[in-house]
Amino acid sequence: MSNDGCGAPPGGAAAPAAVGSQAIVQGRVTQNGSAVPTGYARLLNSGGDFVAEVPLGEDGGFRFFAAPGTWTLRVLAPGGVRAERAVSAGTGKVTELEVAV
Amino acid sequence: MNRSDVLVDADWVEAHHGDDGVVLVEVDEDTSAYDKGHIQGAVKIDWKQDLQDPVRRDFVDKAGFEALLSARGISNDDTVVLYGGNNNWFAAYAYWYFRLYGHDNVKLLDGGRKRWELDSRKLATEVPERARTSYHAREQDSSIRAFRDEVLSAIGQRNLVDVRSPDEFAGRLLAPAHLPQEQAQRGGHIPTAKNVPWSKAAEEDGTFKSDDALRTLYGDEAGLDFGKDTIAYCRIGERSAHTWFVLHELLGQPNVKNYDGSWTEYGSLVGVPIEVGDGK
Repeated sequence: MSNDGCGAPPGGAAAPAAVGSQAIVQGRVTQNGSAVPTGYARLLNSGGDFVAEVPLGEDGGFRFFAAPGTWTLRVLAPGGVRAERAVSAGTGKVTELEVAV
Repeated sequence: MNRSDVLVDADWVEAHHGDDGVVLVEVDEDTSAYDKGHIQGAVKIDWKQDLQDPVRRDFVDKAGFEALLSARGISNDDTVVLYGGNNNWFAAYAYWYFRLYGHDNVKLLDGGRKRWELDSRKLATEVPERARTSYHAREQDSSIRAFRDEVLSAIGQRNLVDVRSPDEFAGRLLAPAHLPQEQAQRGGHIPTAKNVPWSKAAEEDGTFKSDDALRTLYGDEAGLDFGKDTIAYCRIGERSAHTWFVLHELLGQPNVKNYDGSWTEYGSLVGVPIEVGDGK
């Protein structure tokens, strides 16, 4: 996909990309087995600092193109919902996680 | 400049719904977000299709901005309230445009779309019909926009604030972490720049931190000299428009410019100095 701006691609997670040298962290947010379509996924670095945020897609999906290393994924959703997961990213890998809130 | 001159909250927006002379405008990083639902009565500006020159790397010119606002039904004396996702990132960028072209009465909805959604406030899907106007823009205000030669001469002289993430500042990443890393350019930062990631100015719900917290962040922690002029930059000038808003509009710093050429220009220039590695 083109990357001529800072903008996220439409609708939450980016279109499937060739993994190549990317370190992808992606997944889906669910509540009682159903997708959470309204909410935000935030990526924090190992120091706890915010790095990036995407709105969840209609399917509760999110995707980040991170760097190799350890990250924290934080989910925010209406009703004061908060959830956190530790996640490791590696070059050439897609790390998948489902976050049940 | 006072915080209440440039920020409104959700209650204000709900109280002024339908008022003549108040126009809500959604500007989102995710340009499809508006179509899924927006604050009732809001019109949409697409940062990419509406605000960029389709050929040259530059903004829409004065005539283009006039045509855009006229088509959206925005008048010169309207109060324009901008909001968007991701801590008002692109709404702040649009705010800077409005100021650049001389629209004085413009505000941000504090917290933007995120706070609105997290508070479970209502979104609508119907697109409002607004009568066309004849908008007249002023010439670009060069006091808030920096170009590359000015940035080069500012090294070691003025505050340079690099508002990208620490990994981009250090040269380990070339774009934000939610975008593919596919840019061909040198990594690193402009020598003497301080790294204050733009998002540190916002709380988790997207609202701006207090003035005191912001002064501590940029002054005590990052070491900006508030007695000096400042240039902010990022990768293409959007995140740094957010920081420009904080320093110029919220904290009232007099001479703050946004370098919209930013790292995609600077990191591709031949012969300019570049530093790599983490901030000091």
